[in-house]
Amino acid sequence: MEITLTHYLLLAMAIFLTGMVGFIVRRNAIVMLMCVELMLSSVNIVFAAYSRFHGNADGHVFVLMNFAVAAAEAAIGLAILVEIFRRRRTVNVDDLKALME
Amino acid sequence: MESHTTETLLRWIVLVPLFAAAVGGILNRRLPKKVAGLLACGAVGVSFALSVTVFLRLTRMPAAERFVSDTMGTWIGFGNLQIDLGFSMDPLSGVMALVVTGVGFLIHIYSLGYMAHDEGFSRFFAYMNLFIFAMMTLVLGENLLMLFVGWEGVGLCSYLLISFWFNDEANAAAGKKAFIVNRIGDFGFLLGIFLIGTTLLPHLADGEGLFSFRTLQHHAGIMAPVATAICLLLFLGATGKSAQIPLYIWLPDAMAGPTPVSALIHAATMVTAGVYMVARMNFLFVLSPTAMTVVAAVGVVTAVFAATIALTQNDIKKVLAYSTVSQLGYMMLACGVGAFGIAIFHVMTHAFFKALLFLGSGSVIHAMSNEQDMRVMGGLKKKLPITYWTFLVGTLALAGIFPFAGFFSKDEILWKTFSSDLGGVLPWALGFLAAGLTAFYMMRLVVLTFYGENRASAEVKSHIHESPATMTMPLVILAVLSLVGGWIGWPHFMGGGAWFEQWLAPVFSSGHGAVAQGAVAHGAAEAVHDTTMEWILAGASLAWGLIGLGVGYFVYQKKISIATSLRNLGGGLPHKILLNKYYVDEAYEGTFIRPGYLLSKNILWKIVDAGLIDGLLVNGSALVVAITGSVLRLFQNGMVRFYAWSFTIGVTVFVLYLSFSG
Amino acid sequence: MEGILFWVFGSMMFFGGLMMVVQRSAVVSAVWLIFAFVSAAGIFALLSAPFLAVMQILVYSGAIMVLFLFVIMMLQGPVLEGDRKRLALPLWPAVAVPPLAIVVMIVGYVMRNGLTGMGGPAPEGFGSPEHVAGLLLGKYLLAFELISIVLLVAIIGALAVGKDERKLPWK
Repeated sequence: MEITLTHYLLLAMAIFLTGMVGFIVRRNAIVMLMCVELMLSSVNIVFAAYSRFHGNADGHVFVLMNFAVAAAEAAIGLAILVEIFRRRRTVNVDDLKALME
Repeated sequence: MESHTTETLLRWIVLVPLFAAAVGGILNRRLPKKVAGLLACGAVGVSFALSVTVFLRLTRMPAAERFVSDTMGTWIGFGNLQIDLGFSMDPLSGVMALVVTGVGFLIHIYSLGYMAHDEGFSRFFAYMNLFIFAMMTLVLGENLLMLFVGWEGVGLCSYLLISFWFNDEANAAAGKKAFIVNRIGDFGFLLGIFLIGTTLLPHLADGEGLFSFRTLQHHAGIMAPVATAICLLLFLGATGKSAQIPLYIWLPDAMAGPTPVSALIHAATMVTAGVYMVARMNFLFVLSPTAMTVVAAVGVVTAVFAATIALTQNDIKKVLAYSTVSQLGYMMLACGVGAFGIAIFHVMTHAFFKALLFLGSGSVIHAMSNEQDMRVMGGLKKKLPITYWTFLVGTLALAGIFPFAGFFSKDEILWKTFSSDLGGVLPWALGFLAAGLTAFYMMRLVVLTFYGENRASAEVKSHIHESPATMTMPLVILAVLSLVGGWIGWPHFMGGGAWFEQWLAPVFSSGHGAVAQGAVAHGAAEAVHDTTMEWILAGASLAWGLIGLGVGYFVYQKKISIATSLRNLGGGLPHKILLNKYYVDEAYEGTFIRPGYLLSKNILWKIVDAGLIDGLLVNGSALVVAITGSVLRLFQNGMVRFYAWSFTIGVTVFVLYLSFSG
Repeated sequence: MEGILFWVFGSMMFFGGLMMVVQRSAVVSAVWLIFAFVSAAGIFALLSAPFLAVMQILVYSGAIMVLFLFVIMMLQGPVLEGDRKRLALPLWPAVAVPPLAIVVMIVGYVMRNGLTGMGGPAPEGFGSPEHVAGLLLGKYLLAFELISIVLLVAIIGALAVGKDERKLPWK
């Protein structure tokens, strides 16, 4: 069958939702960050698909920007995580409740 | 024709006592007694002098134009609604002003002696001056609202002065009773005012003061359809202030106040405010024969009713109090049959002799070391000569004995009741009966107090002494007035000029209300042809009064056993009923007060206030906030995963919104 | 050809993501994610984006995931073990609702409106490094510069947050 734009979009949706559910479900902070990366990836797929659809490579540029942002965010997130671990000896987000009302 | 003569002295008649009251009230104990007394008496004296001055000016004016006014400014000026802050004097308010300030002045002098040893000397005089201020506002006010302001003001002063010795709870309760009962009457008064306002407002010309008496008189015809309603409502206020049935109950209790207060407020001036108001609004009352009948009926029934109670009372001031209620009934009777001028005449004579009687009783009480029960008095004739003789003059005047003042006014009332189309034989007969009772109980009082042997304890006996000059001088002056004060109304049929009635006549003749005018005129016209009836009635009144005095003297001085057997008549029940004032207070307590109290306590307090307002609205709203807060707090649980899930919910909603709006 | 490849790479990626989410051990999750990213590269290739495919491998699986693995290794102990408690979230339905809602919505939309085709083959040189470079250094030069600043900031930030005060030699 012909692979249409819609196929790619549905795929991206499935992956995004997987990442989203994983983010909510997992307690390990590192794994949660990995789910974030997965979600960002799915968005990249959408951009690329549309870019192909329109024949316009501007979408690719944004995907590159996305890569950079994802990397930066992962770096800082992990740095913070490390710091938290040093202080509290845990990366279980259920134990990080200091902001509770 | 409506003249507009200005007389700026008018405002000072009202304001000087106010200033004196303010000074005395603020400085209070820091003011030496001599200064406070001088200030207060001086202020009333000034008011009296100014009243005389303006009154004389009135006399020099032609009869139809006797009206001076003093407008201090606009009180309410709102579109069509124009109410001025001003005073005016015409023959009617002139007479009232003289009586109030004159008798008031004498009573202030008396109080210098009576209250000399009292702690609250300055406070007393401040309140008294405040009262004069309020009363003058009432009398001199140029519109109905000013009158009402004064009306309320005298009610306030009455409360302050009745509960003057407030450390005793009974006194405070009496003050409260007076004020609250008056308020009930005032409710009717206010409704009457509102009704006048709504009826009249659409018909006013530009700049006409809405409640100004001149305007009201001018437009009386417009109010004719609702005149009955208005008059009955206004009269309700009058029953409160002038102690008529059904709102008279406060007056006997008001005797808890110092005797000068009883004399000034509850005999001579404040209680006559109701009569003044009815007389002032005569042009409206005459439009409604129904209202006139009600006024007359209430008046005459009250007169008899109160007289019967006075027969049995043992407290000297209570007898005088019920006597006042009874005499006020006479004044209302006069108004009700259309003889407004005679009603005011009786106001004046009554002021003289009733103030005299009260002040005299004050002298007696003072001598008896504050004892008020007549059963332990007696034999004071020799020890208190001035008091005794002046008191006797007052009694003769009250009993209506020629040539004392009371004879002329009371006799005229009875005559007018008999002859007017609005009166008749029945009201006359009741008034006649009450007159006899009056003479009887007054003689009883005199005998018990002044004759025979003194029945007090040795301790009290040793202190009996005549009162100082500051107290006896006003007694003498009032006694003279009680003798000659009535001569100004020496009636036509006895050869006099009826000058008093003539003086007031312009006030009471209006173009409208032919009914009552005609009634009086008609009756009078009939009488002009034949004065025989007048002579007969006058003679009967005089004889009846003398009989009453004689019987009283005989029973209580000579054969007290008659009194004892009367008391035991019918198993002592009638006596008991009269002594307990027909249990009216108890009846009111049961019908109105207790249910009101229970309603307030159980429903209004417990349910409405505590439950509804406190519980539902105040606590309830706090509870709502608290609940909302605790619900919202669940969103701040610090759980990262919960926050993440909230994000997803938000995203979902957003996507839904986009897809369905796109 | 493209059709089969799409299904292959697509399912690989989806499966990788799924496995990543359900693994107990963090390391194994990381490895599955690498697997998913590599499949993503394949999808990029299908979409005539060769440059992106290569960058995906270089940056994501080569740099980012390595970083993740470093951190996992550094933190040792409890992290390696993964979640000690069972992998459960109370209120399963609550968590499932949003994704299900979105799925229902989008699938419904698609079923109503049908599929949108790709519309023809890609132009010549589409997605090649030259093409993308031309865009980056031409039209999107500002964005390019700014993103480098973002990366600089990220570096400094990571250093600032991550430095360990105890170990500095001159303290």
